[in-house]
Amino acid sequence: MRSATMLEVASAALLLLGGFFYFAGTVGLLRFPDVYTRLHALAKVDNLGLGCVLAGLALQADSLTVAIKLLLIWPLALAASAGVGYAIARRAEALGIRPWRKEDQ
Amino acid sequence: MRAVLIRGAGFAFLWWVLAEGRPDAWGLGLVAAVAGCVLSFRLLPPRHGGISFAGLLAFAAFFLWHSAKGGLQVATLALRPRPDLAPALLELPLSLAPGAPRVLMTAAIGLMPGTLGVCLEGDRLRLHVLDERLPAAAEAQALEKCIARVFAP
Repeated sequence: MRSATMLEVASAALLLLGGFFYFAGTVGLLRFPDVYTRLHALAKVDNLGLGCVLAGLALQADSLTVAIKLLLIWPLALAASAGVGYAIARRAEALGIRPWRKEDQ
Repeated sequence: MRAVLIRGAGFAFLWWVLAEGRPDAWGLGLVAAVAGCVLSFRLLPPRHGGISFAGLLAFAAFFLWHSAKGGLQVATLALRPRPDLAPALLELPLSLAPGAPRVLMTAAIGLMPGTLGVCLEGDRLRLHVLDERLPAAAEAQALEKCIARVFAP
């Protein structure tokens, strides 16, 4: 196989994997029982999805700088979602929202 | 002086990436890099002793591996016919220094498998864990050790 097609296959696989993680994260957001567990789904799975999508796009980039630019988006989004996740969890606790427990069911 | 060179080089690199390697805008790029440098020193003065690059690399590797594991774990939980959750709150005593090390810990813990930072108060970090049957505290302590090495003088 030529290296160009190899790159395309790897890129497509990463993009599909990223799409799968976004899907799983959204399913978790809809199915998990309370704000804390939903934050787990949103922060962790979506970041993995974004990482895969960006890596897949970087493989198709025309130049090295475009590839680096795409990959730099990931740590920025990571920092934002880590901060936002903590802020929402802290606020939820300050409002007195008790975490969902299995025994409550 | 060393910090100025490192940060300056970092901002220049960032400009090179943002301008996609075009050489015609380097005049503006230099102004942007110097402005970024000045602002970064005002917002984040260099720490005494600085940070360890070997420690930073080790942290990056640890973080990449465990955040991927964390994402995968929540993805499989979400897609199960009946999500098997056993959430709980957990108090974690921190031995990290106040300031940047504790903030990095609080942010990073949210992307590790099964843990989410809820409240940082002094040297205690309250965590929400997805499954109390898993050894979340031990994993948090491994992350803490990793962060301590980044900030070791």
